[in-house]
Amino acid sequence: MRAAWLTSCACCIALSVTARAQTIGDARLARLDSATRVAIVALVDSARRQRLPTEPLVDKALEGEKKGADGGRIVTAVRGLSVDLRAARGSLGSGASTDEITAGANAIHAGFPMRDLARLRVAAQHARRARVTLPLTVATDLVARGVPVAVASDIVLSLARAGLRDPDFTMFQRNVRLDIEHGADASAAAQTRARGAVLHTGRTS
Amino acid sequence: MRAIPERWVERVAGELRRPVQLDDGFDDKVMSEVRRLPRHRFGAWARALRPRTITISPLLSAIAAVLLLALALSAGHAIGMVRALRTGPDRPDGAAERAATNQTSGRRDVQFVLVAPTARKVQVVGDFNDWDASHAEYRAEHRGGGVWSVTAKVPVGHHRYAFVVDDSLWVADPAAPRLLDDDFGTPNSALVVGGEVAQ
Repeated sequence: MRAAWLTSCACCIALSVTARAQTIGDARLARLDSATRVAIVALVDSARRQRLPTEPLVDKALEGEKKGADGGRIVTAVRGLSVDLRAARGSLGSGASTDEITAGANAIHAGFPMRDLARLRVAAQHARRARVTLPLTVATDLVARGVPVAVASDIVLSLARAGLRDPDFTMFQRNVRLDIEHGADASAAAQTRARGAVLHTGRTS
Repeated sequence: MRAIPERWVERVAGELRRPVQLDDGFDDKVMSEVRRLPRHRFGAWARALRPRTITISPLLSAIAAVLLLALALSAGHAIGMVRALRTGPDRPDGAAERAATNQTSGRRDVQFVLVAPTARKVQVVGDFNDWDASHAEYRAEHRGGGVWSVTAKVPVGHHRYAFVVDDSLWVADPAAPRLLDDDFGTPNSALVVGGEVAQ
């Protein structure tokens, strides 16, 4: 009887050690409550098996914890991001970097169709542009400032085809922002500044 | 052949039957001679290879087996985690890619500026510091006239961040690209730190 009891205790200790090692996952997730942590670890493991970036998922969970969100909201956000990351990777191709996939996920979350991400990738390749991280970031910013998705997509595509480089994309975004802050219509400001940027490159889309 | 007289046989047998008297130091003399004999060159190996019988109780062996199984499972999980973190820069793993860029492309100085005339404290939080406002290197200083700024090292790549004003108010960077980051009800900004120019 005592032997069975001792064996049971040993089994319980061993299994709990193993289970704890697997549920904690990333040590930073220890800040979450246990139920949320288990769900997030499962989502992260699923993403890892699909060869998706996992750091953005952990970041999202940590952001939610720091902003005081409840566990359910954190899990929903991380699950949604996981779906967007998968869609972005599918649109941008398997050779896309983590930053491109993350920026692509943000664009998809803002409403960009997946086909527009694929078109942007093709346009960038034709213009011998290595990465599309900043064009996707600028595209998301345009939508966030009130430019309709279709207009923002056409603008960024035309800029990418014209071979605009990162410093020029940054200047374009800054100019549009300043125009909007001065009261300009978002679409009008973006389209006007885009024409000027393309002229500056000396190439037309 | 002449027959051996029986009394001669008895006399020889009697001598043979007589007990041998040994002195007290006989054993010691013999053992000292044995010890002086040269050892066999492979004596240690011979002792190690000699089979021995070991006894162990079934209960202890079961407990040891369970503990070894748990240790193996935990070690396997840990190895999997380490391999995931050490994946090369071509694989879409953010942590590994950020670690690789930290080592190769490094971190860049980025200036964060926020105009907040009524603020008492402004900190920068983002994915580059695990959204932890306690990092002193990301705490902005008041430059006068309501202008807060801090220049901090940020790894090359795409980042999400925000300002935290007075430990309670989350504010997006007005000068940075916005994100439609409505998951938690507070806005974030995007930052792309390039290999040549910080955006």
